[in-house]
Amino acid sequence: MIVAIESVDQNKHPKLFDQMFQMRAEVFADRLGWDVTVENGREIDRFDTEDPLYLFSVDDQPGQLRGAVRLLPTTGPNMLRDVFSVLMPGGTVESPLIWESSRFAVNPRIFRTQDRAEANHTVNRTTVELLCGMVEAGQKAGIEHIVSVFDARMARIFRSIDCRYEQIGTPARIGKTMTYAGLFEISDAMRERLGAAGNIEAPVLATSIEALRPARNPHAPAA
Amino acid sequence: MIDKTETNLATSLAELTATHTHTTIETLLRRWALRYGLRSIAYLGFGFVNSVEPFLAVTYSADWVEHYKQQRYLEIDPVIRVGMGRLLPLDWEEFGRHEGRIQMFFGEACEFGLGRRGLTIPVHGRGGDRALFTITADLSHKQWIAKKLAFMRDFQLLAVHLHDKVLELEGRPIPRSQLSPRELECLQWTAEGKTAWECSVILGLSEHTVRCYLESARHKLNASSNTHAISIAYRSGVLFPPL
Repeated sequence: MIVAIESVDQNKHPKLFDQMFQMRAEVFADRLGWDVTVENGREIDRFDTEDPLYLFSVDDQPGQLRGAVRLLPTTGPNMLRDVFSVLMPGGTVESPLIWESSRFAVNPRIFRTQDRAEANHTVNRTTVELLCGMVEAGQKAGIEHIVSVFDARMARIFRSIDCRYEQIGTPARIGKTMTYAGLFEISDAMRERLGAAGNIEAPVLATSIEALRPARNPHAPAA
Repeated sequence: MIDKTETNLATSLAELTATHTHTTIETLLRRWALRYGLRSIAYLGFGFVNSVEPFLAVTYSADWVEHYKQQRYLEIDPVIRVGMGRLLPLDWEEFGRHEGRIQMFFGEACEFGLGRRGLTIPVHGRGGDRALFTITADLSHKQWIAKKLAFMRDFQLLAVHLHDKVLELEGRPIPRSQLSPRELECLQWTAEGKTAWECSVILGLSEHTVRCYLESARHKLNASSNTHAISIAYRSGVLFPPL
């Protein structure tokens, strides 16, 4: 299941956000060695203060985070324009109807709780589920394009699950990482291809986040 | 065939371009409300460097504005509290109406003629500046669902451009983003009468990428359609026939 949570609702889901920031530290600093700032085992950057929308992949047992991704409109501060402008020397794309995705990550803890074959399956499913969630959330808001910066490793993953994108701009080596900008089509066709690759037909985006909220005390007086 | 939706957006953008003073913004919003069959439109901009005060332009009745102030609704207005920290357009139906004071707030808003439906679009400006753009309508649930996506598309565009206009009037114009070489190429071939698919073949891009570059070009040029973008680009001297 994918839940979409706005920054403004972060205080309603402190555990989920904390798990995400920890996961990002493990993935981007520890495993991939990106030049990111980690404090107290949590990776948080300045774009997290720009009120992005986050998508979380959570398993049926509430609270267990499988993966997450961050979305920002390209009209406001975003990574492609403000950090990776070297990838788009002629200028980047910009419109309220084009979003940027960043910090796409699958929780490496999956490998600690499941055997290897099962974990690989979960990782694959989580990746596809997050991408399906991006398409569904975008379509709900009338968005047709998502731009993203990623590395060769992600590019291979995208290819393996038939998540087509077009490379735009000029790839560049940043630190140790070969970095690309890509454009993703947010459409029924994209959702269908992803669904076929990951065997996910039904919508993944939860219509409400009530499922994640602690049960209300029925005896509490109405506010 | 004339696409009415496109005409609405084109006319509204043209009116915005022709707006040069603060005082005419509310008149402009009234015209937009009438055109789209809305009960009201409100714009609230924050985070401008030159002024601490938010910039407000509304088509609400003076009665509602007065009542809102008197009841100190700014303190509880969930639209503002929630909307400022969001990316997605906010449908007022998302609000639980169980909290007493908030329920009263929406009930009274309806009595004062705002209508039963509301949609608030957050604007993320490049310099960290923000705005909320709100439309309200008096439609049945079914009518609302049918129109919402079209409203979201047009008003996400209009909201951003209105915000740029306000920044400009506040003496802090945002330098317009230059068209990238790819965006220019797509416009050049479109100006030659090529479809997105034909452009994609000529330029060796996917059709979707061509459409994305055109979307971005329209945004940067403040244009409602490809034709409009081409005419603006010609007039400003950046567009030449393809080599």
